[in-house]
Amino acid sequence: MKWEVLHRTRYNYATPVRDSFNDVRLQPMPIPEQTVESYLLKVIPAVRLTHSKDFYSNWIQHFEISEPHSHLLIEASSRVSTHWPAPLPDAPLCPFELMQGAPNIERCFDYLLDSRFIEQSPTAWKLALDATVGIEDAWQCALALMRFVNGFLKYESFSTHVHTHMTELLTDRRGVCQDFAHLMIGLCRALKIPARYVSGYLATEAASATHAWMEVFVPGHGWRGLDPTHNCQVGETYIKIGNGRDYGDVPPISGNYRGTRDRQMQVEVRITPVH
Amino acid sequence: MSDAGDIKGRRNQPPMTQSQSQSATGDTGFAKKAKLESLLSGYQRAADAFDELLAADNKVLPHYAMLMGELESFGPTELSRRTDACQRFVHEHGITYNVYGDPRGMERPWQLDPVPFVIAPEEWHALETGLIQRATLLNQILADCYGAQELIRSRWLSPALVFGQPDFLRPCHGIHVPGDTCLHFYAADLSRSPDGRWWVVSDRTQIPTGAGYALANRLVTSRILPEPFRDNHVHRLAGFFLAVKNSLARLSPRQAERARIVMLTPGPHNETYFEQAYLARYLGYMLVEGQDLTVRDNHVFLKTLSGLERVDVILRRVDDDFCDPLELRNDSILGVPGLVEAVRAGNVVMANALGSGLVQSPAFMSFLPGLCRHLLGEELKLPSVATWWCGQKAAREHVLKNLDRLVVKPAFRTHLNIADAERDELRKRIEFDPDLFVAQERVGHSTAPVWQKDTLTPQPVSLRAFLVADGKGGYCVMPGGLARVSPDSGGKFISMQTGGSSKDTWIPSATPVEELTLLHGSGQNVELRRTGNNLPSRLADNFFWLGRYSERADATSRLLRSALLRFNPERTGGALPLLSPLLQTLEMQGQLPGISKKPELWSNAEVFEAELLAAIFNPEREGGLRQTAAHLQRLAMLVRDRTSNDMWRVLSQIDDRLATPRPKQVMLAGDAVGILNQTLLGLAAFHGLARENMTRAQAWRFLDMGLRIERALYLGTLLDATLHSPDAENPSLLEAVLEVVDCSITFRSRYNLLPTVPAVFDLVLLDDKNPRSILFQIKQLVKHFDKLPKERGDTASPGKTILANSLARLERSDARELASASNNWRESELAATIRDTLSALPQLSDAIAASYFAHSAISRTGREGMR
Repeated sequence: MKWEVLHRTRYNYATPVRDSFNDVRLQPMPIPEQTVESYLLKVIPAVRLTHSKDFYSNWIQHFEISEPHSHLLIEASSRVSTHWPAPLPDAPLCPFELMQGAPNIERCFDYLLDSRFIEQSPTAWKLALDATVGIEDAWQCALALMRFVNGFLKYESFSTHVHTHMTELLTDRRGVCQDFAHLMIGLCRALKIPARYVSGYLATEAASATHAWMEVFVPGHGWRGLDPTHNCQVGETYIKIGNGRDYGDVPPISGNYRGTRDRQMQVEVRITPVH
Repeated sequence: MSDAGDIKGRRNQPPMTQSQSQSATGDTGFAKKAKLESLLSGYQRAADAFDELLAADNKVLPHYAMLMGELESFGPTELSRRTDACQRFVHEHGITYNVYGDPRGMERPWQLDPVPFVIAPEEWHALETGLIQRATLLNQILADCYGAQELIRSRWLSPALVFGQPDFLRPCHGIHVPGDTCLHFYAADLSRSPDGRWWVVSDRTQIPTGAGYALANRLVTSRILPEPFRDNHVHRLAGFFLAVKNSLARLSPRQAERARIVMLTPGPHNETYFEQAYLARYLGYMLVEGQDLTVRDNHVFLKTLSGLERVDVILRRVDDDFCDPLELRNDSILGVPGLVEAVRAGNVVMANALGSGLVQSPAFMSFLPGLCRHLLGEELKLPSVATWWCGQKAAREHVLKNLDRLVVKPAFRTHLNIADAERDELRKRIEFDPDLFVAQERVGHSTAPVWQKDTLTPQPVSLRAFLVADGKGGYCVMPGGLARVSPDSGGKFISMQTGGSSKDTWIPSATPVEELTLLHGSGQNVELRRTGNNLPSRLADNFFWLGRYSERADATSRLLRSALLRFNPERTGGALPLLSPLLQTLEMQGQLPGISKKPELWSNAEVFEAELLAAIFNPEREGGLRQTAAHLQRLAMLVRDRTSNDMWRVLSQIDDRLATPRPKQVMLAGDAVGILNQTLLGLAAFHGLARENMTRAQAWRFLDMGLRIERALYLGTLLDATLHSPDAENPSLLEAVLEVVDCSITFRSRYNLLPTVPAVFDLVLLDDKNPRSILFQIKQLVKHFDKLPKERGDTASPGKTILANSLARLERSDARELASASNNWRESELAATIRDTLSALPQLSDAIAASYFAHSAISRTGREGMR
């Protein structure tokens, strides 16, 4: 399916700020599962953009505004066609012995460790074991964990913030998509299944918004997307921006500036199917 | 026997002309032996450690022989005298070390033992080769981890070892570094086992500190022991620092001659700030903090008063993950946003490269022998202390089996606290997460002679050796290093944080050594300069406040002194009201809060006196003299690398004098006056040094502007309070005003009469020949403003406008009008002029801050969560 995405972020500062340095991660990743036909980033005040690829192959646009300014607009528009593979069946595909080698597969290692928002605590390890009792296959374990997280957490807007850590979720048991993804990643890693965080968009009939899900590594099948918020495998309504160990590696906009903290942020996302 | 020897020794030399070095070499062996026994009589070499001085048969080892011979010829008395000189040098050069969490706080004096640590030349040569090999190896490992990662792909390094480390900085992967050199500076901690072999105990690759202290030790030791230093032909350190300069200059992306190299410091609160300031000065680099730098268009610039100046090379003393809040730790306030991107673009070079802390982890040690064979095709020459990384199965089993014998440490830089963990708990933790732990064999320390309580005693030592990349693929080793001594003979760790001492390290040579200096030779053409490096805005800010606080201390002392002198307990009530303008001035500035609202004080002499003393000595009193002195001390520290040692000493003394802890003894007003007098002399010395010894550059200008503004403020407040007093015309009040502003003599020489309001105000407000008049201050400020760098756009600056208005207002005032004015001073034109000037001054100060110092805190861009 083909999509047009418009992602507009506006900052208003109470007093002019300056020396603003920012990294933008809003460019959908060019991968076999999706074709990025166009991408355009607009920043006002107008500045020169530089771009680079980070350690996880995400594209970054970097800009700096040294002059004083009271408003900052960052608008990304992209056109992407998605062609995700059909879901894999809930069947034994990957015995755990195959996973033994996973830490040695290039760049898999990072996705087995603790990271900023994810910690493989003994509690998480126990939860993961309990949720997968009797399952011998890594892929089926991942599916079981997705069902578990989907039931364990209650979706509640604004119940958490951007920097909520996974361990808080274990006690609070509510959150938004980012938290669902973090928890599931933590449980997968506790079972030594490589798991990474994905930032992107989800187009639904009710609402179009930024979204977060996760991917597990299945030897022989590569990275497979799972969405614990909706308890399903990723399909054509998902547009992937980038991936990392957790949210900390792929925030849409990160940066800093000199000046007041008194500011407002407005975000608007529009996703429309193109026929 | 020793008597006979002494006599014989004396007879050999004419007693009056005997020079110490002659006596060392010219003495008879007989005398030498006797004295040696007296210096070393208490020296017992430990049975279980290697001794640097004595061989197994208790004979002095050959490389120490000459030094010991000369020390022995000095004798204990002379050696103690030189030890005192050593401590004096350390104090006078302000060589300090900050200790975190010490109640005495900052600036602990550096501990230096006068007896150097001597290493035999042939032994040193072997160490040198081993160290160079090790640095080369570590650099290649770093270059691979941040580049091709072949070592990980081909299983020489475990991914857990690299990716599991917080010191592996992902944003730095793939950054090209010039000459493939990540490790420009490297230091190794070495220690000697009982069999006499050297071992590397730890590698320093993040920020190898200590080279500056080694230099400072050399400076002091070579001065207190000039004869042995010369006779031993000790290798000089200057060659190493010359290599540092050349190496850094070569890194510059621009032509080496135009390169601007700066040293990035975390600030004066860092434990080795002294060393940073010292090295920066010695190497001729500017010492900057993160906020002094900014990134524009992927280039790094230094923010100076006259604009931005490009920076090419950054010698970093800030941990790499704190260097850029944008791409690295975003809670860092020490870094420069956008720095990583500038490095990536190749417009600035960091030394050491960002990410170099990676191989500092002890876990790497166990891989070095194999990697050395693989990468360099040779055996590792200098062994590391035996290390097992529990991330490997065989190693883990060995560690768990020998847990009692080994020292377990965190493998990575973490907050992991395992110092007090029980063995069983440790075992569980290793089994649960083996990657996080390493275990090492315990290494003993060798012992070396330390001068303590008039005798030489053996104490454990370790050595930190320093290397710098020569820019041509090799490394250069500092001939010497920082030897550290543990305070107790059973010490397991040697650390300056826990109160160890240090020594200079000598590598003697058989022949005279080449003398080098970092200063340019006379043959070179030097471009003549009349200005120094441009002043960073942050320093201008500090100088400005140094000026303001120094004058605040001066004015406060004068006011308090006059108040105390006039204060006579026998005349309660009668004399007191005449002090009120003085007290109100002190109240306005916070020294005597609420004094005018506490009339009961005015009649109670004891309470009143206590209140005045509190304004001087109470450290909790906001704005009190004690706090002002502390502010001065703090600011002096912030500008320390830009001021002379004399200035620093004078300000330290002022603070010391006020802070001297006094036992419960009753403080008399008379004692306090004495201390105030000394404080005023100290401040006069400071102002004298500023006026006579600072070049008329920006630093001095900002210092003086601060001083002028503060002085005008105090004068204005005092004059205003006087006019508002019902006793404005009382001669004894006016007398007090003249005394506070130091104009009594001038007044008497001009007028042979009792002070009157017009005469006093003419002198103190409008006389531009009087350096303590308000008009004088304003005119000086106008002069300074003309010399300041122009702001962008060059429109009339707000500060200039404020000054012009004040000046015009004051110059319009006519002294003759004063004479004919009515008796209602409170409503007079005069009072209005003073009030206007007073209100203009804070605006002026703000305008200067806005134009020249503007810096505000870094905030994070708001983040959008995913829904």
